[in-house]
Amino acid sequence: MVGANTLRLYLTCIRNTLDAAMCAASAVCHLQNFPCQEVERHNKPEVELKTSPELLLNPVLICRNEAEKCLIETSINSLRISLKVKQADELENILTKKFLRFLSMRAEAFQVLRRKPVQGYDISFLITNYHCEEMQKHKLIDFIVQFMEDIDKEISELKMSEHTRQAGGYRVS
Amino acid sequence: MACLERASPALKEILLKLYRANKSIEIDHHLYEFGSVEYHIQSSASDEHHMYLSISTPLLSQEVLLPYGISHHTKQMITAICSDVVEIIEPAKEGYQLTLRLDFSKLPSGKDTLKVIAEISAVQAIILSSRLKEMLMNVDSHDTFQGMYKPIKLVYRPSEPFFIVRQPQKFIAVFPIHFKDKPDVIIATTFFQELMDVGSSEKWAKAPPCCWSPIPPPELRGELFEDLSTTGGFVSFEISSWHVKGKKLDKTVWSLLNFYAYVKFHVKSTRSFIQRRMRKRLEGLVELLHKRNIKEVEVEEEEEEQSRKIQGCKCMIRISNLPKPTVLKRRYNAFSRTIKRIRSRIKIQGFGRFRRRWLKMPKFSSSMGYTKLE
Repeated sequence: MVGANTLRLYLTCIRNTLDAAMCAASAVCHLQNFPCQEVERHNKPEVELKTSPELLLNPVLICRNEAEKCLIETSINSLRISLKVKQADELENILTKKFLRFLSMRAEAFQVLRRKPVQGYDISFLITNYHCEEMQKHKLIDFIVQFMEDIDKEISELKMSEHTRQAGGYRVS
Repeated sequence: MACLERASPALKEILLKLYRANKSIEIDHHLYEFGSVEYHIQSSASDEHHMYLSISTPLLSQEVLLPYGISHHTKQMITAICSDVVEIIEPAKEGYQLTLRLDFSKLPSGKDTLKVIAEISAVQAIILSSRLKEMLMNVDSHDTFQGMYKPIKLVYRPSEPFFIVRQPQKFIAVFPIHFKDKPDVIIATTFFQELMDVGSSEKWAKAPPCCWSPIPPPELRGELFEDLSTTGGFVSFEISSWHVKGKKLDKTVWSLLNFYAYVKFHVKSTRSFIQRRMRKRLEGLVELLHKRNIKEVEVEEEEEEQSRKIQGCKCMIRISNLPKPTVLKRRYNAFSRTIKRIRSRIKIQGFGRFRRRWLKMPKFSSSMGYTKLE
């Protein structure tokens, strides 16, 4: 019950921060197209380059506990969300690593998912102004929050089904 | 290899085929099975009743190899399948450890036929398990002898040795577990820990107690370093006298011989289970993302279409402004057109358009009307 409450609060905090981050980037309520200041005719997500400090906003770190945290980095034309998922034991550790790596390798299916997570985190999203033009902002935020819930749920279910399969395993007599 | 099934399915199929054939068939088959097991089946048309089965299999050996291959006790066990049908040929065919002559004409009738054929197909399992059976049969013996408490290393495959330690009124079977990949090690160790927890419950009180430890157990003190260095720890089973009484001996021995195979099978099936779940979840998440955005696009398109409909044509006369008889006349015409359409039996595609363009009556200007000047 306490765990469920803290999860709710954690997710609500992330949702509100994302909402603010996507709006704070510009006055037009979404990330805007901003060509690269250093290379002509290039358009790069500034949150990845971090070459122009004036284009970056302050990153926000939301921690549920020591093991679970979310880093939200915003810039004028892009937003990066990095998640660290809880791993209570070795089995959860390998299940989480396998699952998130599986998803990251298929990042093109998600469009907003980063192929490689930011160092120190398990999975990262990169949302650019182009994504905001194709998709609705509040729906993107809903998806990310739902994604976080689904990951937790999937890892728990995998672990539970593992234990069930093992208990019904080897019988000698 | 000591695989999970005792009887070789391919061998059983061939033996059944030979038994069911009305006339003698000329057969010369070589079967190769996983674990370096080889069978050679020969049947000649001239010798109707007999066929020859030769078997080559790696033996479960101790460090000191048996010089003569299959022991006398093992040969007795093989002949005991059905002494009328099975006869051991000495010496065995070159390249094989055992050659049997089978006489199908002396097979018992009914269900026993299938039973005997299944036992003949399982002769490799009999050879493999005989050594361990001989050791476990004397579990209840109260004799103490030199060599008690000293682990006996049994090797089937060089990478999978296991140890049997004789103790008063029980045996301890110790399996060093080794996996190359770390995820496999974690899956296996979680399985062993669960096995320990489940085994210690009341429901499974009769099963041999199981113990897992990451370090070598005290029984293996003094063994070679290469045998004691593992990645998955050590699993021990305590075999007591009631685990090897009567028919249970066969089952216990077969379970011990198949332990490594079972653990590998479990790890492999766990990995494929995880993979399936991940794929399913991936599809669900992708669908969720696209569904959210497709729905929005559909809603937007619907709204646009509706707004276009509401806008309409500027030259449309509002019906409410017309006099009542005109409104009634228009409704009657529409109704009669609908009736005609329903009642007309012949429908020509495109005729309606043709009629409207070429067959309409010309409008003559009325003396009452006027032409608007630009």
